[in-house]
Amino acid sequence: MTYLAVCARQSDEHQVLTFAATAGDILRFATIDRIGRSAQGVLSGFQRPQVAAHIREIRDYLEKPNAVLPNPIVVAFIQGVTVEAREEGSARLQIDVSSGAPGLVVDGQQRLSALTELDRDFQVFVSALICRDEAELRRQFVLINNTKPLPKSLIYELLPSVDDLPPRLSRRSAAAEITARLNYENTALKGYIKQHTMPEGSIADTVVQKVVMESLSNGVMRELVRMPKGEDRCVKIVSNFFDAVKRVFPLDWHGHKPATSRLLHGAGIQALGDVMEVLAQRADARSIDDFEEGLACLKGRTAWTSGEWHFGDEVRRWNGLQNINRDVALLKHYLVGVVKADLRRRAKAAPAPLLDGLPDA
Amino acid sequence: MKFIFADSLDYVDPAFDFIADRSPAERQPYWDDAYPHEILGYAPYDGVLVSRGIIGDHRVKGKYTSSQARRFHLVGARKFLRLDKPQFKDLDIFGDCGAFTYVQEERPPYSATEMAEFYDECGFTHGASVDHIIFDFDPAATGMAGGSDDAKARFDITLENADAFRREALAMDASFKPLGVVQGWSPASMAEAARRLVAMGYDYLALGGMVPLKSPEIKLCLEAIRDVIPSSTRLHILGFAKADDIDGFHGFDIASFDTTSPLIRAFKDAKQNYYLPGDGLALRYFTSIRIPQAIENPKLQRTVKKGIFRAEDLVAMESAALSALRAYDAGGADIDDVLQAILIYSAALVEEKSYAECRDSILLARLAVRYRETLMEKPWKQCGCPICATVGVEVIIFRGSNRNKRRGIHNLAIYHEHIERLDLKRAVHRPYDLSRSLCATKR
Repeated sequence: MTYLAVCARQSDEHQVLTFAATAGDILRFATIDRIGRSAQGVLSGFQRPQVAAHIREIRDYLEKPNAVLPNPIVVAFIQGVTVEAREEGSARLQIDVSSGAPGLVVDGQQRLSALTELDRDFQVFVSALICRDEAELRRQFVLINNTKPLPKSLIYELLPSVDDLPPRLSRRSAAAEITARLNYENTALKGYIKQHTMPEGSIADTVVQKVVMESLSNGVMRELVRMPKGEDRCVKIVSNFFDAVKRVFPLDWHGHKPATSRLLHGAGIQALGDVMEVLAQRADARSIDDFEEGLACLKGRTAWTSGEWHFGDEVRRWNGLQNINRDVALLKHYLVGVVKADLRRRAKAAPAPLLDGLPDA
Repeated sequence: MKFIFADSLDYVDPAFDFIADRSPAERQPYWDDAYPHEILGYAPYDGVLVSRGIIGDHRVKGKYTSSQARRFHLVGARKFLRLDKPQFKDLDIFGDCGAFTYVQEERPPYSATEMAEFYDECGFTHGASVDHIIFDFDPAATGMAGGSDDAKARFDITLENADAFRREALAMDASFKPLGVVQGWSPASMAEAARRLVAMGYDYLALGGMVPLKSPEIKLCLEAIRDVIPSSTRLHILGFAKADDIDGFHGFDIASFDTTSPLIRAFKDAKQNYYLPGDGLALRYFTSIRIPQAIENPKLQRTVKKGIFRAEDLVAMESAALSALRAYDAGGADIDDVLQAILIYSAALVEEKSYAECRDSILLARLAVRYRETLMEKPWKQCGCPICATVGVEVIIFRGSNRNKRRGIHNLAIYHEHIERLDLKRAVHRPYDLSRSLCATKR
């Protein structure tokens, strides 16, 4: 197989070239060498197994007519190739496939797997790296695949300005958009959320996004966001809820940081997210006053900044709650329990409105 | 006799693409998927049971995500299960604690008050009291003899809870029917528990701890219990794993039972995966054809990691087996050829060896016999349920949740018809009741 390639001056020890080829052709001259051991325990290969979900997501993207894949598949050779230099940095690359595929895919195996499933003529760039020996090749694999991913919060902040995202990211994107609006518009949380571009904020953006995402997928915002001006309604309800939180717990909120008050901490914010859902769905709360009324029952039963939480048979110091699933769930269960009991008590005290006061009655 | 299906988020994606083998990328499982009563267009059961333990919370890890659990608590069982349509309004919604999720604990994690509030708030029609499973069943123990200290402690906990639970339900004017749960270590101790529950005021009892028992043992318990409670007291069997033997339980006047077995057997049984009505009042079973996803199946992935197979080769075997089976279904392939293609892939799965190395293995030979029967009979062509009518041969392939659960839902439909046929027969003659009433007059 012969390709016209572009060479790059990089190293005296290696030759680096690039050219375009289809996935089918790449698999004729290169194999994916997965890591394994022989019966004697000798290590061979280096690639991890395919990741089905990852391949699927790439394929979904590549099926779109406007898809591009500018980053190359990296194929390394230690033999089976001859490079014939031509003028101005170009070269003729000959790959001998008579005794099998001599190349090894060093980077891009998931992309390549997705491409082979694709039913369209799509060329990708191949970066060919010609190495001295197997050890050198494995070294390149480790170096190439050991890059540091971008920080999540940077990616998340960029998401709302990108369209045509895979669903996994577009759901995150909707939450990131609402979170950013909460932070920059005139809301109860303005300036409170720590984002890549708002480093002085104190509440983690990922925590607020979590609350919003949960609500969008299974809570009150799922309905709100589908209404006219849906996103505005979502921003408004969170803002109203936290305005009420500030009114009910002024001393635990103002002047505090997550380290000094569990109210601004990941555990507190997430648990309050559940309280917002209960009040919004069970008591139809929307305004600051509605939420304040529903939250009032928590006064005197919290330990946001000092004292102890009394969760049934478990007692925790105020700062003994961490942002881990178990602690968050414990706090949620406690707060929601108090709020629900209060809703029950108030419904019993005035039974008529609950049944007759429904909108369509 | 009511067949209550014990649900644990058993839904399938109606938009699943069987040829591309995937769901749409934007699928959101709970919202886009369909429960059995949605995909079939009718309910293949008389009610649904939801265990508190399946929902889960900060104490018990359930099957629901925390956000699904929250939604269940907020909107209630009927809306969550999407049974809030007029055609489903008569379906019962049973609740229990899911005692298996906390067998290891010294005491149940839920209080009687908490459970009563839960059933009431979430709109259950029936709620079981807070029980604690007793192990070490002894069919021969008489009276209150036998039973370890642990068994006796659990016996007391279950009865104390039942008493508190019933009072609580009355006090809150609950909208659900309370069921008192029977737990015991022998038929006689269960009868004693039942007697005490009736004395408390229960007229609907639920038998717990039945899952590990064999059919004859369950019958011993029922007999002992029926002897000491009024005939008007209704009985429910919780977690009735022997649901296929249900025709043998006629004389005990069971009002209801819950099981998940027809669904589970579709993908947890070695042989009996696909149900059809059999001769007379029996069921007939077929083995489904195992063609798992080459790059998702953990066992096959292990062979790749160990270097026994190349992933690309497994994918090729997988796709050969799938297309051979589809061609056979369409009448374009010979039974021996399709069986061969399937067995080549099965060798990797069952023996972790190439077919050439293990073609004479006993496991493969056994599989071949069962597969041949399934292929000969083409049972999916004999069923007119909405699942088989829509997806055809895909229903018989043991592969991924969308095929396996569809087969399970088909089984539910067949099973529900089975129960209804049995009830019809029962209305004509009830041998056990007759002999019972004769005995009563003699006395």
